[in-house]
Amino acid sequence: MEAFGDIAGGLLVLAQTAPGSEESGGSFLVSPGLGLMIWTLALFLFTMWVLSKVAFPKIQEALDKRANAIRESIEAAERQRHQSDELLEEYRQRLSEAREQADDIMARARRAAETAAAEATAAGKEKREELVAAAKRDIEAETRRSLEQIRKEVADLTVLATEKVTRRSLTAEDQRRLVEDALSEVDFTTLSGSSS
Amino acid sequence: MTTRAKVLIGLGAYFGLAILMLLVFGSSGKNEAFQPQNEFKLEPWVSIHLGGIDFSINKAVLYLVLASALTIGTMVWISRRMQQKPNRVQTAIEVSYDLTKNNITGSHLDPKTAARWFPFLAALFFFIWFSNMIGFLPLPTNTEHEFSIFGLQVPAFALYAATANLSIPLALTLVVWVSYHVEGIRAKGLVPYLASWLPPGLEEMNPIGKTFIFAIEAISHFARMISLSVRLFANMLAGHLLLLFMGGGLAVLLGIAALGALTFPLAFFFFVLEVGLIATLQAFIFSTLTAIYIGGATSASH
Repeated sequence: MEAFGDIAGGLLVLAQTAPGSEESGGSFLVSPGLGLMIWTLALFLFTMWVLSKVAFPKIQEALDKRANAIRESIEAAERQRHQSDELLEEYRQRLSEAREQADDIMARARRAAETAAAEATAAGKEKREELVAAAKRDIEAETRRSLEQIRKEVADLTVLATEKVTRRSLTAEDQRRLVEDALSEVDFTTLSGSSS
Repeated sequence: MTTRAKVLIGLGAYFGLAILMLLVFGSSGKNEAFQPQNEFKLEPWVSIHLGGIDFSINKAVLYLVLASALTIGTMVWISRRMQQKPNRVQTAIEVSYDLTKNNITGSHLDPKTAARWFPFLAALFFFIWFSNMIGFLPLPTNTEHEFSIFGLQVPAFALYAATANLSIPLALTLVVWVSYHVEGIRAKGLVPYLASWLPPGLEEMNPIGKTFIFAIEAISHFARMISLSVRLFANMLAGHLLLLFMGGGLAVLLGIAALGALTFPLAFFFFVLEVGLIATLQAFIFSTLTAIYIGGATSASH
């Protein structure tokens, strides 16, 4: 309790001494001095003069420069982005064009291949048919020639046989006619098989 | 351990130490020899008297010179090596420059007036800010108490702020006060400017009433002189007194050592508060109010 009394007392002493006498009082705290005010004015005005002449313009200049640089780089970035957008669009377009072209080429190639295959097939068929036809023709021709040969040989043999049987010879004309008659009655179709 | 327990233990140690010290050292009675206000007393170091005016160089003048030199030195140094990619100091200066340019000046004045008054307002801000800040550096300025380093008598280290002396804020306030009236008269002419002191809406009032209102407005303009200067002065003085008393002054004054244990941690708290907030805040308020006064004097409507 004594301590608190002392604190209160001390504060009271402070309060009393504040507006007190010259030496121990605090009145100098609130009494302005003209000399100090003039010192303040002089130093402040000098500071302001130097700052406004030297410091502030340079700081402002640097800040403006940076602001410009930032604006320019933003603009440049926007320009570049715009350009790259355009490029991208162009590339996309080209890509899709290329894809279309590729598809087109593929389709054409497929069509060509199909056509070629069909043509090849047709050509092959034709060739085969041709070959078959040629073979058939050859066979027929050969058959006919063989028949002729046979017929001739039969005729000749018949003539010989007849001569031997009749001991006389017929005129060639008669013989021929007789043989022809005889032969016409013989069916040679059985010789040539099914190819008549 | 819970936070609650930690806080309780901390508080217990804090008060326990104080009680222990009170029991051990007790009270040695009031100290009549210690005059805390003398920390702010200005001893003339170099006596100069010109035409009846005391221009003596003292602690306050030293602090003013220091503030001026630091303001000029820092700003000029930074301005000469402005980089496109700023370091921390440059960033801090740029932020404060931006504060003076766009916040203090730009938001209270029209662009033309702002351009004209920006150097003044920015210089006010930086000058007061550096004055306030060096007030929290212990400097060997206390010639009342000296100590010896290898036989060299060095004044004791002390905290002092030029702005904690009424003369300095008052001188700056006078510049502001004259400036904003001159600017108002330049913008509007003498009579229209004085007429603009009357708030709008009094056109129908009789001349006596108008005179009465004008007198009140005139008083308010003079009151600005006091409020602007005393706000800065009292804030800085109170801050330094708080630091002085919390840092041990109260214990010495009352002769109770235990009190020192209680107040000393608070000194750190107040120191951080003063350096971190009050010093900048008061510089900001002073220059912002100046801008508002100039803006009010020059704007078309009151």
